[in-house]
Amino acid sequence: MTRVGIIGAGAIARVHLDGWRRLPVELTGYYDIDRLASERAAAQFGGKVYESREALFADVDLVDVCAWGTEHADIVFAAASAGKAVICEKPLARRLKDAERMVATCEEAGVSLYPAHVVRFFPEYAQAKATLDSGALGKAGVLRTVRAGSFPRPGGEFHAPYYSDFTQSGGVILDVGIHDIDYARWCFGEVERVFARGTTFKEAPRNDHALIVLRFESGAIGHIQCSWAQPGGTFRTRLEIAGDGGIVEWDSLDTPSLMIHRRNADDSGVERSAYSPLAPDEQPYYAELAHFLSCFERGVEPQVTARDALMAVKISLAAMESMRSGLPITISEFQEDQP
Amino acid sequence: MSDRRIRIGMMSFAHMHAYSYAVCLQQMPDVEIAGIWHEDAAQGEALAREFAVPFISDVERFLDAGLDGVIICSANAHHRRDVERAAGRVRAILCEKPIAATLEDGRAIIERCRQTDTRLQIAFPVRFHPVFEQLKRLLDSGAAGRILAAECTNHGSMPGGWFVDRALSGGGAVIDHTVHVVDLLRWFWGAEVQEVYAEIGDSLLHPDLGIDDSGMLSFALANGVYATLDTSWSRPAAYPTWGDVKIEVIGDGGVLYADMSRQHISVSSQQSGKTQWRDWGGNMDLGLMRDFVAMVRQGHEPSITGEDGLAALEVALAAYRSAERGEPVRLPLTG
Repeated sequence: MTRVGIIGAGAIARVHLDGWRRLPVELTGYYDIDRLASERAAAQFGGKVYESREALFADVDLVDVCAWGTEHADIVFAAASAGKAVICEKPLARRLKDAERMVATCEEAGVSLYPAHVVRFFPEYAQAKATLDSGALGKAGVLRTVRAGSFPRPGGEFHAPYYSDFTQSGGVILDVGIHDIDYARWCFGEVERVFARGTTFKEAPRNDHALIVLRFESGAIGHIQCSWAQPGGTFRTRLEIAGDGGIVEWDSLDTPSLMIHRRNADDSGVERSAYSPLAPDEQPYYAELAHFLSCFERGVEPQVTARDALMAVKISLAAMESMRSGLPITISEFQEDQP
Repeated sequence: MSDRRIRIGMMSFAHMHAYSYAVCLQQMPDVEIAGIWHEDAAQGEALAREFAVPFISDVERFLDAGLDGVIICSANAHHRRDVERAAGRVRAILCEKPIAATLEDGRAIIERCRQTDTRLQIAFPVRFHPVFEQLKRLLDSGAAGRILAAECTNHGSMPGGWFVDRALSGGGAVIDHTVHVVDLLRWFWGAEVQEVYAEIGDSLLHPDLGIDDSGMLSFALANGVYATLDTSWSRPAAYPTWGDVKIEVIGDGGVLYADMSRQHISVSSQQSGKTQWRDWGGNMDLGLMRDFVAMVRQGHEPSITGEDGLAALEVALAAYRSAERGEPVRLPLTG
């Protein structure tokens, strides 16, 4: 049975763990710079608390990196030198050079690097891609997506230095838009150039928002809205792919499959909630981890590769550079300016 | 003020909006359609029969028919010709959008109407949709706080005919669908578009169309708001409606979503072999007709001026220039 170790036992790790606990793996243990986080995870999901990441690497076959984006590169380098395959959360890295070195280092070390671009595993997104691939839409023409939520409050805390410090998180494009950038590239192929307007360099982090225009090498065009400027507690996604033979659309604002309108305690109003419940195998993080586990055990290429993740970082950073400079950025020529 | 009926002449049905305008005019008790002129006599006669009004094949006789105002719905490139024929012969002209296919023609239209003291209104019906009237009031009241951005779409089906003949239209999806939303944005905030970037697709969704059928435009407005607009004719024949106008406004106090296609019933009929949406609310063309007829009757300044039409056209033309040059284009255009 594959032995899995978690680096970084915070909010996203708990989402992964909910998937891992339903998969045929040995959850070996955790390393986190905050020992309490490891202890909490171990208490809930089982496994050991490790005092160093090297000690954890020695005991596992597959490392699942759920630390802050700024830590990804160091952890992946260390895992690669220990000869361990790695699942790495998005963004692959905050800096393009780090992302490039991560891909190269893992290739040289002969270890697999599985990037956790989970949107490809959301059933509605997978269904739209399958529909495009089936030919039902004809030749791909125009893609639109929206990913809009409120400013992240991991663990319920509003004060989140990682997210509000854009030198760490990269802001809304690198944290949120990157999902759709990867999805767009999966559907429509390589991106020729990107143009973006947004608030990243102008507004408070809680208002971070961008509107991104894409041109693909195929000639197709695209648009991505990514936002942290939504009112708290709201999250909305939208997807539209038009080709010369048809169109597919999906919007999370449309009626969900299960709604609950309950009288409140004193019958003066209503408590509303809504769900779109999924079958266990359709849970996106479960499906993603199951896919990576299967690829790791069979030694086959995953449907989202380390190079895909590198390109998603590159296009995201190019979009930020477009926002800063006011100019379109050609992806093949783009080199990140930052040290 | 006289309570006699206002006599409106329909000058060309080349643009399909004319049909809806005529239907609306016939719902208004204080208006009569005094005559129809149309380039194609057979079509014109059939329309005249349908509306039970005279067809006048000779344009001079048409303009001599004692008209108070005309509604010009010819092809974009013919607007100047038809305005120059009608200006001074009638008191007021409603000219279909875009004002013209070129800035030169647009300016000439405004100048001729000024010289002849003819009231000129541009037909931007979307301003009269109750959803957008309400959105404007919400924005004025600060409902979303300080505005940061707007994400807009004006999708459509590929209209064919003169719309895809560059000599008559001046362009495809971008000139057809930029002006409505740009007019709304200018109206919302009284701010001009200062810069446009555009990625435009030629024959992207309709092979061998030979003209742009898709466009993704990015604007910077003078009030600091940025916006994008998708102008694509991306709705296939199988789609349940013609297209959409949607605006999502993002402010630091919240988000407003406006979609004028939501007031529909969904009809699935073996007749058409598909599911279709039929609107039950938001007859914006009736609002536009009432506004125009009120101006004709009272003689006040138009609510939507030739300059408004010209400004919207200029943004569409700047989008084409941006796509050609691969860079953002500043407004106003020069050269």
